Amino acid sequence: MKIAAYISIALVFGGVGYAWRDIKAGKPVNPSAWQRLAGVTDERKDSPEQVFKNAYRLIRNDYYRSVKPDDLKFAGMQGLLASLGDPHTMFMPPKLASRFSEETVGNFFGVGARLGADPLGAKAVSVFEGAPAYNAGMRPNDVIIAVNGKKVAGQPTDAIVGQVKGPENTYVNLTIMRSGSEKPLQFKIKRGRITTPTVESKVLEGTNVGYLSISNFAEPTTSQFDHELDQLGAKGIKGLVIDVRGNPGGLLETAAEMLSRFVENKTVLTMKKRDDQEVVKTYSGAVRQWPYKIAILMDENSASAAEIFAGVLRDYGLVTLVGTHSYGKASVQNLYPLIDKSSAKITIAKYYLPNGDFIGRKVDDDGVYVSGGLAPDVQVELDLDKDPLPGDPKTDTQLAKAIEVVLKR
Amino acid sequence: MSTPTDRNQRETTRAGAWRTYIGFIVAAAALPVGIALRDMRDVGSANPTKTALADRNLVASMQPVAIPEADYFRDVSALLKHEYVEPVTDDQKLASGAVRGMILSLNDAGSLFYDKNEFRTLLNQREGKFEGIGAQFALVERGEINRSADQSLGGQPPESAEESLMTRIRIPRLAVVALTPDGSAAKAGVKVGDLVYEIDQHWVANTDLLVKFQRAQQDYDKKKITLSQLNTVRKEVREKTERALMPMKASNKLTQGSSGTVRVVWERSGQKRETLLAKSLTNLTANGAVTNGVATLRFSTGADETLKKALAGKVSALDLRQSVDGDYATMRKCLALVTPSGTYGAITSERASKPTPVVVKSSVAKPPKLKLLVDSSTRGASLIFAKILQKSGVAVLVGRPGEDVAVRTTVALPDGTGYTLVTGRYDANPKGKAIALNTENSEGLN
Repeated sequence: MKIAAYISIALVFGGVGYAWRDIKAGKPVNPSAWQRLAGVTDERKDSPEQVFKNAYRLIRNDYYRSVKPDDLKFAGMQGLLASLGDPHTMFMPPKLASRFSEETVGNFFGVGARLGADPLGAKAVSVFEGAPAYNAGMRPNDVIIAVNGKKVAGQPTDAIVGQVKGPENTYVNLTIMRSGSEKPLQFKIKRGRITTPTVESKVLEGTNVGYLSISNFAEPTTSQFDHELDQLGAKGIKGLVIDVRGNPGGLLETAAEMLSRFVENKTVLTMKKRDDQEVVKTYSGAVRQWPYKIAILMDENSASAAEIFAGVLRDYGLVTLVGTHSYGKASVQNLYPLIDKSSAKITIAKYYLPNGDFIGRKVDDDGVYVSGGLAPDVQVELDLDKDPLPGDPKTDTQLAKAIEVVLKR
Repeated sequence: MSTPTDRNQRETTRAGAWRTYIGFIVAAAALPVGIALRDMRDVGSANPTKTALADRNLVASMQPVAIPEADYFRDVSALLKHEYVEPVTDDQKLASGAVRGMILSLNDAGSLFYDKNEFRTLLNQREGKFEGIGAQFALVERGEINRSADQSLGGQPPESAEESLMTRIRIPRLAVVALTPDGSAAKAGVKVGDLVYEIDQHWVANTDLLVKFQRAQQDYDKKKITLSQLNTVRKEVREKTERALMPMKASNKLTQGSSGTVRVVWERSGQKRETLLAKSLTNLTANGAVTNGVATLRFSTGADETLKKALAGKVSALDLRQSVDGDYATMRKCLALVTPSGTYGAITSERASKPTPVVVKSSVAKPPKLKLLVDSSTRGASLIFAKILQKSGVAVLVGRPGEDVAVRTTVALPDGTGYTLVTGRYDANPKGKAIALNTENSEGLN
């Protein structure tokens, strides 16, 4: 009798455990989860589930090369989400999800250098000032040829990055080739929390114009934006150029925070979802003074949050847009983390700018741009024959035009 | 003072309480078991993050758990249907998309996913019905171009180690593997092995340009070329990639449709040549048709019945030309009609330590003596058929066949799409003993 009671209690606990995920989320228990527990699946021969399972098994069992089950499964999910034909709805396997997380959260543990491909290993494209690598003496264009004594020539950059990163306060030994140095240099670097710089600024030489570039809209971007603006303000600038060329976007929340420095309680955008709509507004109490003209530099690689930032400021008449049309990503995605650390990024809404514009990109059958994106107020192309260096008005023709715009009376 | 009976009673009560307590603890252990069971059965997070554009807490708190593939499919489909901005109603499209993703991930020029139009074209070609410019194409990797093309046409060397380092992107080239007799491509002088370079001013993407660009950048960094020279390459890349066609789409443009014209730039031994070609519908000799003792054979569904009927008449040769990459299972049925029982070579696979012997079980006691007409269009299942008949002594090959001995399985999906999957390669002599090619000049037959 007692045993039966214990079994009943165990069943109740087991059931609560099984439903715990829903209970914790304050949701009704998902009936399909119970069906699955009971082993109920769709076994019809041509059911979509069977079509997928059959292909998966055929490839796993019969393809002439061996395939890792996880790789195949993730590729299937990437294809599933891609079948909607929406380039912003995508499946991210664990590694990609983790990298995406680092980019949007804007911090991770490492030495603080951005690496690029190099035949000898990995080249430091940039070394973040104040980060462990910088403090140890590493500089841009240094080439990492070995990590912890192991040569890395020929390895993909991602793999080398993976070896350089590690838990906080652990050490990594890097062997570096530097041009002008006869022997390889050795660096022992303590890994730390790295906050990726997303905002950089300077006063353009001989102009009194501030130049502020935003590489993406991550979590720390607002505070970095404020910090750089304070520095420029202290130097008494007479105009400001904000460069969002090549900025792929990031967090909508960050863009809204940054827009709150310009306008308060104003619409940032209207999100139209499947069943309802939501208006995102700027906050109050954070507006700064802007005693000068502002131009925003953009190009076809300025997308998402970068377009929202530029488009909202344009709609409120606060800036002049200079450059070429922007990408035209007028949708909002949610990220759904799955329990195996992969995630699904799904478009949940389309957005409209404050003046009602929908800037969604349209392409023809060949994928060539037809329309969409923000149109610049002042159209100017980058002159590639000048080997443009972004932020250098002598070679960067778009920046030169933007300076002209902000200094014009 | 307590008596022994009281003590016994107290001990009994205490022991009972302990048993109840332990029993309860054991029963409560079912809670984490239930949580773990759910994790095994259900991939989705119950509380997806609602932060627009990206999640604030991207990494789930639980340890990674492996999810079975079917649950993955079901749950991700459900998530999509529930959350996507527009209604998602076509479940088969999701399944085909997932299959497409898996096939693409193999990065194998022989294992391909076909959309509805492409699959219809493939099945028609197997029946001898050709649309387009009268040519058949295959995707070839750089190292294979020499092998697949006519040797005299030259081709490109395999990728060097340096090039491998320069780019990890692999885009196969689109090469002509067969020409329809009297088709507009053949009339315009297109030859087997020619590479498609451009269609209607759309560059057909390939890795060479990317390598060229990377090399130019390196040369500029080392001051070997001027900025103006680098910019010329940059401009070329920009202009070409802006309107680039991927090879599979390029193939569709040449093999689909039966009216209109298409302007094609071909590449042969590094030389380019432009042609204006008309599209038309060509119906080749029907499967099983017998002319002067030569029966046409293509391995489409029902080919075994067709062959049986043809063999009942007076047939001295089988024409395997223009026999596009037929169905392997159908080919095996046909083998059993003409080959005596035996083991004829093996199917090799990179994953199997031992080759799988090709065993034919048949009731053919007195096999016919046949000639097999082959050319570079005799590929895949057709070529394996030819090689097995040659090995078994049933037939001699007339003509020079291609080299594609891949065993491909073809799968049709319910929504009209389909895919092919390479499951192995035929090896007539798996122990390494070479067999002499027993070929005759095709002229002898006419």
